[in-house]
Amino acid sequence: MAAVLLFFCIFGPMLAPHSLTSVLETQYTNGKVLAPPLEPFESSSYPLGTDKWGYDLLSMILYGLRYTVFIAAAVTSIKMAFGAIIGLYAGILKRTPGWLIAFENAWSYVPLFLILYFFLSPISFNSNLKQSVLIGYFIVIASIISIPSIVSSVRLKTAELYKSVYIEAAKALGAGKHRLIWKHIFPQLKETFLVMFILEIVYVIALMGQLALLNIFVGGTIMRYDPIIYLSATKELAGLAGQARLNIYGNTHILIAPLAVLLLTTVSFSLLANGLKNRFQSNYQRTPWIKTGHEPLVQPSRKQYGRKKKFWSYSGPKAAFAALVIAFAGAGVYVVAAKNSNVGVKSGSRADYKIDLEMNSEGYFTVNADIEMKNQSNKEWNELVFYFIPNVFEDGHTFDSVEGTSEADITKVTVNGQKANYKLKGDTLTIDLKSDMKDKSKHKVKIEYGFTVPDRGSRFSKVGTNYYLAQWYPMAAVFQKGKWNKEPYMEGLETFHTGFSDFNVSYKLPEGYSLASTAGIDPAEGENEGTVKAKRVRDFFMAVMKDMKVYETEAKEGVKVRLFSRSNHDKDPEASLALAKKALTFYQDKIGEYPHEQLDIVLDEGQFMEYPGIVTINPYIDDKRFYEISIVHEIAHQYFYGVVANDPYNHAWVDEGITEFATSMYFYAGQNQDERQAFGISHYRMEAIEEAGLGRQYSNVPINEVKHSGFIYGQPALEIYEMIQEKYTLKGESPEAVGMQFLSDYYQKFRYKEVDTKEFIYFTKDYFSVPAGYFNNWIDTSKVNS
Amino acid sequence: MVRALQQIFIIIILILLLAALPKIISVDPSSGSLEWSFDSLPQIYGDFILEVSGGSLGTYQLGQQTRPIAEDIADNFLTSLQIVLIAVNASLIISLIFGVFISRFRLTKLFGAFLNILASIPDFIIIVMSMLLAVKIYKTTGIRVISLRPDGGALNTWFPTVLAAIAPTLYLFKLVSVKYYQTSGEDYIKTAVAKGMGLNYINFQHVYKNLEPFIKSELVKVISLAIGNLFIIEHIMNVSGITKFIFQSNEVQPIAIGLFAMLLISLFVYISIRFIFYLFKRGFIYE
Repeated sequence: MAAVLLFFCIFGPMLAPHSLTSVLETQYTNGKVLAPPLEPFESSSYPLGTDKWGYDLLSMILYGLRYTVFIAAAVTSIKMAFGAIIGLYAGILKRTPGWLIAFENAWSYVPLFLILYFFLSPISFNSNLKQSVLIGYFIVIASIISIPSIVSSVRLKTAELYKSVYIEAAKALGAGKHRLIWKHIFPQLKETFLVMFILEIVYVIALMGQLALLNIFVGGTIMRYDPIIYLSATKELAGLAGQARLNIYGNTHILIAPLAVLLLTTVSFSLLANGLKNRFQSNYQRTPWIKTGHEPLVQPSRKQYGRKKKFWSYSGPKAAFAALVIAFAGAGVYVVAAKNSNVGVKSGSRADYKIDLEMNSEGYFTVNADIEMKNQSNKEWNELVFYFIPNVFEDGHTFDSVEGTSEADITKVTVNGQKANYKLKGDTLTIDLKSDMKDKSKHKVKIEYGFTVPDRGSRFSKVGTNYYLAQWYPMAAVFQKGKWNKEPYMEGLETFHTGFSDFNVSYKLPEGYSLASTAGIDPAEGENEGTVKAKRVRDFFMAVMKDMKVYETEAKEGVKVRLFSRSNHDKDPEASLALAKKALTFYQDKIGEYPHEQLDIVLDEGQFMEYPGIVTINPYIDDKRFYEISIVHEIAHQYFYGVVANDPYNHAWVDEGITEFATSMYFYAGQNQDERQAFGISHYRMEAIEEAGLGRQYSNVPINEVKHSGFIYGQPALEIYEMIQEKYTLKGESPEAVGMQFLSDYYQKFRYKEVDTKEFIYFTKDYFSVPAGYFNNWIDTSKVNS
Repeated sequence: MVRALQQIFIIIILILLLAALPKIISVDPSSGSLEWSFDSLPQIYGDFILEVSGGSLGTYQLGQQTRPIAEDIADNFLTSLQIVLIAVNASLIISLIFGVFISRFRLTKLFGAFLNILASIPDFIIIVMSMLLAVKIYKTTGIRVISLRPDGGALNTWFPTVLAAIAPTLYLFKLVSVKYYQTSGEDYIKTAVAKGMGLNYINFQHVYKNLEPFIKSELVKVISLAIGNLFIIEHIMNVSGITKFIFQSNEVQPIAIGLFAMLLISLFVYISIRFIFYLFKRGFIYE
């Protein structure tokens, strides 16, 4: 029981279903009103109910428990250590000094909690002291004031033992004072100390409880006026019980829940102590001569002399103890693992690619793609769904941004070695699964096809002699919420949602071509045959280029930054490279580790676009400011697209908005520009919306409903900035620092996970202690609350 | 005698120090550290001694009112004394009877097990739980078990008395039963059994006599336990006892007076128990 308790102490906060700052908001679900204070067992997500203000009781208890137990343990350790040593030495004195006895007696007259009360009451209420300092004071004072009682009991026991005959014998043999204490007396008292230690833990918890009833909470009392209420700063258990004291008349669960846990805590320690005591007592006690009614329940275990000592001999208690240790460790591992996999939106599929690509001198590509699809959901698949984007640019397409056309011909599709039926409509490639394959968790898909690249296309594009292969392979859609999340291709914003995959691409190019790609290590210039690999990336982009000049530099942690450019534009490649390096270094410093080994920047005609580890920038535009912003923007995407995933169709703002915010923060926090200038592009977008008279729109709409890209890019950036301006005092000194810290914490939490609007709101709500309604200005929260 | 004087001296110092603590400790808001203003100590104690030597106990704040302590303390003192006196004496008698004299019966074993379970629960939880229970009883049956109004009369005091008795009972019962069990293994018990003496006789003449010193030595702790709980109980149950002076003010005067009153209560209780022991010995034990 005590082990379970310790387990909760360590992993409690991880298990907590809600964070301390998240509030249950009054809501209707299925015609039922959920409003705080919620009774226990009424809602499955608030098993112990909430308090009057909507805070989840179970979470508070799980957070508070560790304080309670560790503080109690700390106090006990300190006082036992000092008390025992002083007591042992005081016990062997020839004559105990009278003042010591007088002091002990006097001390035991005054209840200890009174002393603590008088000491803590002037400093506890709305204290300026830090929580940790207050806890420190409590530990120190509580230890000091209870040392005398320990000293006195240890002293008496020592004195008793000191009179024993064997001590006389040891003395006669010339044993010194210290030897007597540590070799002769201490071993006798070891077991007593153990029992005492555990009992004292209970005692300290009781002490905390008594103080809590007087509104002194360990770690500080937050006092609110009008009406006067007292709140525990640490949510320590005794404090929780104390602050809920007035709930005895109604909503008793608010009081009972922490009290019950506290009870469980103390009872488990008491039982442990009792068990040990019974054990030791039965071992050493002489059998009584009369019927007393106090017979021990435990059979005495006697020392067996003359038996060989074995390192491990099997016995019931030992096995039970080992099982306990194993269960403890196992449960710990499980909790940590489960916690990690619960972050973000779950994906029910995973795809890994092994692709052979061959290009002939006419610019025709032949591809052999081996795709391994894993079913991680609990549903059977009837079909496999892929994005096959080269197909949408076939002759007769209607996209304005694509000048040329492409060919895309699938020649053969096999699944698990058998020929498979498939449908190709637009960019949706659906491969039927034979009925005997449906229950398999792994599918090996082989697709053979060939394609050409449209002239001056959109992303997937041929510019002069260069081929930009974007979304050129059959990209597995993501299986989410029981179905394939596949939306049709659209011009403009990205429509394809992919998960994290490993890639192994071997290629063969005509003479004179070089390759830059998503891969961690790209081949040297002019190498036209080989293999490139990438791990955990969402897309695999390849730029097949000829006659490009390469500029190189290095950012932090040995990340190589390369820039490919022609010389027929007015932008300075060196300056652009320097900017990229500066921006990347800034993000490495402020947000976190860059996920790849190198960053490639390709300057050529076409879209501004991010791919993992490589970005394309159009240097042929006049707006130099926009050109620079774009470089920073695409680098920021390496974090908020490349690593923190999202569905670009249904939650497009999640990567674009946050990336735009991160971009502007580079200028705001990194370059110390003023807000108007740093967030200029977002303001510009919003003004454009106003001029066009488009009114207002939420940011979390699917992209086929978006009225203007400003709602996806500019609005979230400005709103997040606004929020940080309002709330930064909660978290730090300046909006700059808090803004970057927010991005960093967000990045660290959702690395290699998927975020949607709901996850973002949960995270942010918690981060800045705001209600969900806070986002109503720009997010349709009605879709999120469920 | 010297030791007793020493003790009294130390206690008085302790009480005065405690009473002054709220006055001398403060937190420096700018640096966020503790401030000890020891230089105001002579002033505080000077005032206190002056007040007391003037024959008055000083005043205390009750809400907006300032009232002289002397006028109110008698009532409050008696309430508290009554509670502790009954509680401790009852607990001693209960634990002796159940722990020793009738402990061998099956029914008593049940009672012992019940006490053991209670003992593993911290006092304050018992207090809060029992209040919850009382409220629950009132809600479901309409029977008013307790009253939290200070002028509730017996309804206001019987429950606190019971609660105050719980902690000392548990402590004493444990002590008594452990010692009883240990004593029962001694050789003189064996001799007594061998001589064919009755169990009750052995319990009275041999066991009790050897238990008494242990109880006496733990008596101070038992009373202190009761007093400690008394504070909590009075505070949360609105009993107007001496606690009123201690928790409702920041002044040195009422706190010190309250603590001294508490000391006096302990003394009375201690004497009363020694008196009971004396009577018991006179009545039952042949010396």
